[in-house]
Amino acid sequence: MLFTTDKQTLDDLNIFGKHGSDSVYQIFNRTNTRGGAALLEAMFQYPLSDADAVNKRSGIIQYFAAMNWQFPFATAWFDAAELYLSNTDERTKLSAQDHSVTQRLSNLVATDAETTTIHNGITALTDLLQGLRDFIGALQLEAGHCYFVDYQAIRAQLHSNAFSVLFSRPRKGRLSAAVFAEYDALLRFRYRDEVKRLLTYVYQLDVYQSVARVAMERGFIFPKALPRDRHLLRLKGVYHPQVKNAVANNISIDERSNVIFLTGANMAGKSTFMKSLSIALFLAHAGFPVAAAEMEFSVLDGIYTTINLPDDLGMGASHFYAEVLRAKKIAAELQSGKQLFVLFDELFRGTNVKDACEATVAFTEAFAHKPGSMFVISTHIIEAGEVLKERNDHIQFVFLPTKMNGNKPVYTYTLEEGLTADRHGMIIINNEGILEILRKGLERIHKKPIN
Amino acid sequence: MSFIADKQTLDDLNLLGKYRPDSIFSLFNKLHTTGGERKLQEMFQHPMVDVEAINTRSNMFRYFQNKQLKFPVDGLTFQKAETYLNTGTSANFLLATTGLLHKKALAVFLHDEQFGQLLAGLNATVEVLRQLQRLMLEMGRDAGSPFEQSRKQISAILDEQGIRDLLSEVFPLPLMKIAWYDHLLKHTLQLQMGALLNGICLLDVYIGVSLVARERGFSYALALPKEANCMRSAGLWHPGLMKGVANPLSLGREQNMIFLTGANMAGKSTFMKSFGIAVYLSHMGFPVAARQMEFSVCDGLYSSINVPDDLNLGYSHFYAEVLRVKNAAESVGTGQHLVVLFDELFKGTNVKDAYDATLAVTEAFSKYRNCFFIISTHIIEVGTALQERCRNVGFSYLPTVMDGHVPRYTYQLQEGITTDRQGMLIIENEGILEMLKT
Repeated sequence: MLFTTDKQTLDDLNIFGKHGSDSVYQIFNRTNTRGGAALLEAMFQYPLSDADAVNKRSGIIQYFAAMNWQFPFATAWFDAAELYLSNTDERTKLSAQDHSVTQRLSNLVATDAETTTIHNGITALTDLLQGLRDFIGALQLEAGHCYFVDYQAIRAQLHSNAFSVLFSRPRKGRLSAAVFAEYDALLRFRYRDEVKRLLTYVYQLDVYQSVARVAMERGFIFPKALPRDRHLLRLKGVYHPQVKNAVANNISIDERSNVIFLTGANMAGKSTFMKSLSIALFLAHAGFPVAAAEMEFSVLDGIYTTINLPDDLGMGASHFYAEVLRAKKIAAELQSGKQLFVLFDELFRGTNVKDACEATVAFTEAFAHKPGSMFVISTHIIEAGEVLKERNDHIQFVFLPTKMNGNKPVYTYTLEEGLTADRHGMIIINNEGILEILRKGLERIHKKPIN
Repeated sequence: MSFIADKQTLDDLNLLGKYRPDSIFSLFNKLHTTGGERKLQEMFQHPMVDVEAINTRSNMFRYFQNKQLKFPVDGLTFQKAETYLNTGTSANFLLATTGLLHKKALAVFLHDEQFGQLLAGLNATVEVLRQLQRLMLEMGRDAGSPFEQSRKQISAILDEQGIRDLLSEVFPLPLMKIAWYDHLLKHTLQLQMGALLNGICLLDVYIGVSLVARERGFSYALALPKEANCMRSAGLWHPGLMKGVANPLSLGREQNMIFLTGANMAGKSTFMKSFGIAVYLSHMGFPVAARQMEFSVCDGLYSSINVPDDLNLGYSHFYAEVLRVKNAAESVGTGQHLVVLFDELFKGTNVKDAYDATLAVTEAFSKYRNCFFIISTHIIEVGTALQERCRNVGFSYLPTVMDGHVPRYTYQLQEGITTDRQGMLIIENEGILEMLKT
């Protein structure tokens, strides 16, 4: 089964970002090759929902991270090789036989562009394959190693008859026209598929080294995936990878308390915390390292977040209605038996408080009865939390506090347990002396009326 | 003293901004001359606080609207004439003529363009003068007209002997006559021509604005002295909307605050903006998007409708809002007559806090009977509490009607506090909770 997510979620978490902006994808993209970048993007598009697959990929990346492996291939080789392989026109096939005198003469003066491309491609590909052979030769892996399957496949391919000619020749010196023609027939036509498959392995290696390097540089850790039926998420020191000096938080969700009810003032960091949690979970499902100190999670079937639902007045539909429709879509997914991670930021803020309170209570309670899935709900309506606290014990209450530093609110960005009791609104208003100003003004006016 | 409106207010109401197609300025900017546009900008930047001045200007617009005049010249001709009249010439007629002859010679022998341009400018000026003369005749003598004085001045200039001669000439003119009139227009009658150009720009504003008013069915507000302390309109709508729903409004000493509730899309902000824009325009003496309006002159306008909720600012939204309220409180506290609009006060904090804050602030503000307030909120409980405590607060709401499953908005103001509970209804209609329970 595929791990499902949607565009709204990818936008909320800034996985791919808008064109040119910083995104989570950009953090990890240190690939050397275009093929590697495309493959990385595909991994972000299609996270895994199988614990073994997740652990395997994360194991491979850890292996390369531990080895501090440098990508041994030159970027230019890939461009030359891809360009060369993309030309499947039989007529351009190099031929060893019919070299007329004119052709030889003209080649002596200057080789034509097409032939040069083909020659460059062949040279790049042979270098590449030889590099791969050296790399694989140096890796002494045993069965059971996470990269063993790929390792075996590459080795078998390289040692097959297809490429034996290639590796039997001495590696130095310029190739003769006859050898070029022979290689061309082999690489571009006869064993084309094998060559392409090997290239894909190299692109994978590129992704692995890229992610491994980022993990090492930024101190990301590798989460441990648990089987689906454990219903567990344990995160220590999770922080937002794109926020400077981000504050880390701990959170754990299990079957018995699968709903997180988050409160706090607007700037206290609710959204940032929710995003860091979701990004960690998303990356973990891709088998990637995450911005945390420790992480264990049971795999889920999908992730849906609602953080910045577009409040588009031009659309005509109200924000509230948009939210309801989104909740319905998620409910349908849940109904079909999927185990999801669902996140709502400021649920139902588009309607009046009474309505929003009632709806929040109803939804949160309904969510609490879906122990296989995990929910995070943030709201301004503490009253809803108070009601829920009495009725249901499957809910964890956490809040992000606001501290007053003189007149200015200060935020710790550290989660605390319970519901927020902050009443800084009135404190700030009193500090600014607004009511005082109004009262004094009134007195002044009434003493001597001003017109 | 001038009318106070800060940048946030101007932005909230989208008043200024030549390059924003949906700004109120662009709505009225259907002018032909750049001079007129400058005058319009000037008027937009300086609303007035003087009853007389406001009524004089609005009478002027009304007069032009009734007259249904057309601006006499096209922009290009006017521009040519303006450039022509602004290029200087020698004070001495002999020197000026020599210069002209020199230009003519250059044109004949070297195909120089200067003489051609001069001739075109002169022709454009004649055209402008002719059209202006026709317009003055069309307006006719009218002792009661607010434009009468200006009309007399313009007519007097047009009646100068030199200009009369020029207008009765047969074209094309011989060279010596060109030299003669060139010198006349640019030197002898230089001041008079400047006054004419200025008059034309003003006419452009009056005619252009009144044309927009007629097309859109705007009307003119009657300014009353401060002491009258009232704001009344039979129907107000947003001037940017072609089919805006009109809502009546009445504020005065007895009821100086409107407490507005309603769902998010029901049109709360639009209503507040319509009112704000009408207040601003009426202080400029401009036509307003209203059916009948009268108002006592205020000292300023203060709105807080789209306080930017920008996380990157690092500044809390709530704090920004508090500072803005404080600002308003300080202005109100000086005894000035202000119009204050607050949209969804304190939405950045938790509900309990927002409730206390909104109630306290609203109550304190409402005691300023010389100011007018519209305050909107999602927290309808505040309204219930206010109903018990303050008699001078009016309660209005914008209703939501359910059309099957889809909410529909009438945009028609109703009295009271909203009791709409469409939220749960929509959720029930969609059957989401049942889906979750199975």
